[in-house]
Amino acid sequence: MATQPIPPLSSHLPHLPGHALVLACGNTLRGDDGVGWRIGCAVEQRPPCDGLTVVLTQQLLPEHAEAISTADIVVFVDCSAVTAAGTVSTIDLRPAVSLPRILTHHLDPAALLRLALDLYSRTPARAVAVTVGGESFALTDQLSKAVRSAVPKALEAVRAALAAETLAPVTHASTHAS
Amino acid sequence: MAQTITIDPVTRLEGHGRITLKTNDQGEVSEAYFSVTQVRGFEKFCEGRPYYEMPALMARICGICPVSHLIASAKACEAIMSVEVPPTAAKLRRALNLAQTIQSHALSFFYLASPDLLLGMDADPAERNIFGVAKAHPELGRAGVGLRRFGQHMIELLGRKRIHPGWVVPGGVTQPLEQAKREEILALLPEAYANIKMALTAYKRIAGRFQDEIDSFANFPGPFMGMVSESGGLAFTDAGLRMIDAEGLVLVDNLEAAGFDDCIGEAVEPYSYMKFPYLKSLGYPRGAYRVGPLARLNIASHAGSPLADIEMNEFKKLANGPVLGSFHYHHARLIEILHGIEAIEQLFSDNSILDKHVRARAGVNRQEGAGIAEAPRGTLMHHYKVNDNGQITWANLVIATGQNNNAMNKGVLQTAQRFVKGDKLSAGMLNRVEAVIRTFDPCLSCSTHAYGEMPLAIELLAPDGTRLDLVQRP
Repeated sequence: MATQPIPPLSSHLPHLPGHALVLACGNTLRGDDGVGWRIGCAVEQRPPCDGLTVVLTQQLLPEHAEAISTADIVVFVDCSAVTAAGTVSTIDLRPAVSLPRILTHHLDPAALLRLALDLYSRTPARAVAVTVGGESFALTDQLSKAVRSAVPKALEAVRAALAAETLAPVTHASTHAS
Repeated sequence: MAQTITIDPVTRLEGHGRITLKTNDQGEVSEAYFSVTQVRGFEKFCEGRPYYEMPALMARICGICPVSHLIASAKACEAIMSVEVPPTAAKLRRALNLAQTIQSHALSFFYLASPDLLLGMDADPAERNIFGVAKAHPELGRAGVGLRRFGQHMIELLGRKRIHPGWVVPGGVTQPLEQAKREEILALLPEAYANIKMALTAYKRIAGRFQDEIDSFANFPGPFMGMVSESGGLAFTDAGLRMIDAEGLVLVDNLEAAGFDDCIGEAVEPYSYMKFPYLKSLGYPRGAYRVGPLARLNIASHAGSPLADIEMNEFKKLANGPVLGSFHYHHARLIEILHGIEAIEQLFSDNSILDKHVRARAGVNRQEGAGIAEAPRGTLMHHYKVNDNGQITWANLVIATGQNNNAMNKGVLQTAQRFVKGDKLSAGMLNRVEAVIRTFDPCLSCSTHAYGEMPLAIELLAPDGTRLDLVQRP
C-alpha cells in the first residue's frame, strides 16, 4: 500500500442534504493506477462531510449500480491513462446511451449510471468523475512524482464536487443523452 | 467450399478463448476446437515457498472462486500437517464456500447467461447483455445484483475481504465468528430467498423455449463426478467424490484426495493449454467426464435442505436417469443457489457456529498432501509435495473447468453441426456456439492460471488448414 502520506481535505463541509457516494477505483500494485484508491482511503479516513459512503474497488461492477441508485451525489475517482501526468480533471457525467458490447471486465461510470437508471429507475442528481492523469502503470506500489504531487489538488476537487449544489435526482422520465 | 470459422474472443466468459470450426466440402462442420491459449504457471513459481503460504498464493489464481482455492489448498496443507480441522472451523469454511458459490452462480446466470435466456439467442448482440436485461427485465437484474451482494457481503463479513480473503488457513480459520456478524448474515436471508425464488420461477417459465439448444448443447452420454455427503446429499467441502456413468451406475465411490491422482489422469492436446482430465480405468478420451452443478445434481440423490429438495426432485424428472443435456447447468446452478442459502441458514442457526476453537496447529508431518473442494464450476484438487523444511518441491492443480474441457469441445462440435450451415454465418449461429461454452461457466483464469489477456476467436479452416474466415471481436 501507499507509503507516502496523503494530506486531509482542507475543511469539513456543512451537512449535505442527501446521501453522497465516493466510488474510488484503482489497483495499488500498478503504480499510478492506485491513485484513485488512495484518494478514496484519504476521504474515508477524514470525510469532508456527514452522510458520505466511500467504496474502494479495483474496478467498477454491475452491483455498484445499486449503491449509486440510492445516492444523491456520486463522485467517481480514478486514474486517467489519457490525460497528462498529474492533470486533475473534473468531468460531469450523464447516463450512457451507447454501451460497450463486451462487458465482462469493463464498465465505465456513464454505463454504470445507465445500469442504475434501468435497474432502479434512479440515478444521483449529480455525478462527476475526478481523474488524475497517470504516468507509470508498472508493477509498483509507489505513485510517480507527478501524480503524488497532484493528490492534494484531486482531494480538493473531490471536496468541491461534494459541495456543489445538488439538483433533483435523474429518473427514467427525465433522462437525457450524454 | 470447405472453410474455417474463428470466434475470437468468445464473450461473456470468465477469461477469453478461441473456437475453431472446420467445415468439409459439403459445408458441414466436421471438427471443432475450444482453445485456451495462455500458459499456466502457478504450480511452477510456488516451488520453494513454505507450504503454509500456499492458500494465500493459490487463491490469487482467481478473483471469482478464490475461496475454493483457499479451501482445497488449506486441506492439502492439513494433509501435510496430519491435522484434523476443528468442527466449527469446518462449518465456517463450508459456509464461506457456499457464499462464494452463490455469488459466482449469480454472476454466471444473471450477468453472463441471462441475456441469451431472457432476450433470445438471436437478439441483437448490441442489446444481448446485462444492460439489455436491465432494460427488459429489471426485476431479474435486481435479483442478480442482490444475490451477488449477499454472497460477496457474507464473504467480506467472514473473511474481511470480498476477494482473496485471508481467513482460511492451514488448520482452520484465523478467527471465530462473532455474534453480531452471525445476526447480520441471518438478517440478509429473506431477501436472498425472495431473489432466488423469483429467478427459479422465471427460468422454468422460459426454459421450454430452448428445446433445440437443450437437445444440442453438449447433450451426450458420459460420466459425471462430484462430491457427495454420506447420506447421498449435495456436498461442497468435506466429503468423498463419486463418479457415475450415463445410466447412473457408480463407477467410483468414496474417492478421497489422497487417492485422486491414482484414479484421474490428465491428457494434453496440441491446440490448448488447458488439460483434459479423465478416469484412468476408462482411458482417454472415453474416461473424460463432467463436473459442476449438473454433475453434482446428477450424482446426489437429494440436496439436503427442504426447498432445494423439492426443486431437485423436479429437476430429476427431466430425464430417466442422469440429466445429460448441458443446457441444464443453468437450472442446476439456480437450485444450488437455493440450497446454499438454506444450508447457510442451517449452519448459522446452530449455536455451535460461535465456538471459539477454530484452528489446529502443527508442523510438517508428511511430505505429500492433497485437498479437494467443490468450486462453483466443479471439483477442484490441489496436490503438493514438500521437503523436510516444509518448502514446496512440486505442485499440481486439477481445475474444474479443465475437467469439463472434453465436454466443452464435444459440445462446440455438436452445437456447430446443428446450427452452423454452409458459408453464411449469422450472429445467432455464432452466439449459440459461444453459448454452449457458457453453460459450463468456464473460468479460463483458473484453468490456465494465465497472466494478462486471453483472446478467444472462432476461425473457419479449410481441410488443408488454410484460414478462410476469422470472427474476432474488439
